[in-house]
Amino acid sequence: MARLSFAHVRSRFWMAACWVSAAVVLAVCAGIVLAMAARGIGALEPSFFTTDPQPSFEESLAGGIRAPLAGSVILAVSGILAVFLPSLGAAIYLAEYMDEQKLGTRAIRLGLEVLAGVPSVVFGFWGLAVFSQPIFAFLSDSAGGDATSAFGRSFLVGALVMAVHILPFVVKVMEEAIRAVPRALREAGYALGLTKWRMIKRVVLPSAAPGIVTAIVLGLGLIVGDTAIVWLTVGGTMTMSGADAWWLPHNWLPVLKGTGSTLTTFIFYSSPAGEGNAPGKAYGAAFVLLALVVALNAFVAWIGRQRSIKAQ
Amino acid sequence: MNDVAEVVLPAVPTAGTASVDVACEPWAVQAAGVSSWYGSNQVLKDVDICIPQRRITALIGPSGCGKSTFLRCVNRMNDLIRGFRMQGTVSVHGEDINGPQVDVTLLRRTVGMVFQHPNPFPMSVYDNIALAVREHKPSINRDELDGIVEQSLKDAHLWDEVKDRLSGSALGLSGGQQQRLCIARALAVKPEVLMLDEPCASLDPIATGKIEELLLQLRERYTIIIVTHNLAQARRISDEMAFFLMGEMLEQGPTQQVLAAPQREETAAYLDGSYG
Ligand SMILES: Nc1ncnc2c1ncn2[C@@H]1O[C@H](COP(=O)(O)OP(=O)(O)O)[C@@H](O)[C@H]1O
Ligand SMILES: [Mg+2]
Repeated sequence: MARLSFAHVRSRFWMAACWVSAAVVLAVCAGIVLAMAARGIGALEPSFFTTDPQPSFEESLAGGIRAPLAGSVILAVSGILAVFLPSLGAAIYLAEYMDEQKLGTRAIRLGLEVLAGVPSVVFGFWGLAVFSQPIFAFLSDSAGGDATSAFGRSFLVGALVMAVHILPFVVKVMEEAIRAVPRALREAGYALGLTKWRMIKRVVLPSAAPGIVTAIVLGLGLIVGDTAIVWLTVGGTMTMSGADAWWLPHNWLPVLKGTGSTLTTFIFYSSPAGEGNAPGKAYGAAFVLLALVVALNAFVAWIGRQRSIKAQ
Repeated sequence: MNDVAEVVLPAVPTAGTASVDVACEPWAVQAAGVSSWYGSNQVLKDVDICIPQRRITALIGPSGCGKSTFLRCVNRMNDLIRGFRMQGTVSVHGEDINGPQVDVTLLRRTVGMVFQHPNPFPMSVYDNIALAVREHKPSINRDELDGIVEQSLKDAHLWDEVKDRLSGSALGLSGGQQQRLCIARALAVKPEVLMLDEPCASLDPIATGKIEELLLQLRERYTIIIVTHNLAQARRISDEMAFFLMGEMLEQGPTQQVLAAPQREETAAYLDGSYG
């Protein structure tokens, strides 16, 4: 009897400890959201979204987040466009064609793991070094008429570096989605006389589509949330340097070749650590960024639910 | 060793003649001396079998005796399994399926397969059937494709139940409907032989009855090979029966004959329910 009740108490204790840990996690999470909301919501007037940042010592004159918000979207979309086909190809190759026993396969897996572990500031630094080479001058406005090096900073450069940064994560999620397609479906495809490639194209990829979309959305989240790469490769200018009327569709190329900011670099710039020193604006931008990331996560969850509803 | 009497050949459905070629003609599928291995595990042992055209042949035997493996030899699905090896010959309409000229995708279109668990693609009912047809004939026009989809669904006795929901997900169908969809999907690529591996194993008696009924109609146009654990089902629908035990094909003959007067003790024991 005595031993039993001691075990019982111990079990109770661990349950309570787990509960407390969970509560702490929840409290920290809620604290962050509430802090951002409490201080950020004040900044969220319509003009916050319709004016570009205007560096000023007076916070009330410091403008809004139109250009950084657009910058986040431009960078995320172009980064995903750059990463989509290479990562899908790599995921198909890893999941369907590679022989796990072979040395080459293990080398590729190791490479992806290493890539996944590299801090983004290192990618930013690397990207700046690479894309400052004159042969990459077509990706960014050149530093001067006859410059011997390219400027090396632009949305295009940022998108390419982002693509390298998120590649291992996107490949991993896509590969898992492809591997998760049941063998029974593959066999059904083969039994209908499809070749391996057609089976992959017509059976595996459509069946894996929700997982592939999930990979893309996670990639979007990674791009939108990164600061170091943006700061180093898209530049520190808060507005778009490519064109004054950057929102006009025909200015797309100068904008992509020019520098600018995203919500993250805007937050850094406006925070007391940056030059802008407009913390109210930084909180507002942080709240918008948080909402964006939560929306992306909600979308991923929604896809997952759709999939399980369909499977029933 | 060459004990000819051991090989129990079934009566040829049409009158045989002296010529070997002609005698082979009614056989849709013929296996001679087929042995196979998964790695070092031998699963089929010297199997000889003759599947008559436009008849239903039931393969029976306790589970694990190699019935599925045999089916998967006929459409070379085992090629996909690493470490699989096969000896002997399997011919479909007289042609060696392992011959150097054979296009395995064409073989699999000629010999369709329906699996134990319904495995529709997670797509619309229409696309489940259209998918392979489109791949095999990219130039097909919409009307022609619609026609094939409709005909296949009618042949699989599913049309009336799904004609108003062709664009709905196939995963929303019941298990029995899904299995009939898988049959329709196999028929759409115009096979000559249809193999079904325990197609009713996960279905209730009503769904099973519908599948039996449609197989009896398909029998006029297709050679059907069905693996079944259900002896009553084999009795109801099959013309021919082959009994497998531990990788060997012990006895083949007309269903009535095998059921009424099995030649082998093991067959009799199985029919009495002595094996699981
Ligand atoms: N993919 C496979 N890899 C290895 N062994 C297998 C595989 N498929 C079947 N086997 C083995 O082959 C034997 C026969 O299996 P199977 O042909 O499925 O029997 P049945 O369909 O008559 O129940 C079993 O012992 C099984 O374990
Ligand atoms: Mg089986």
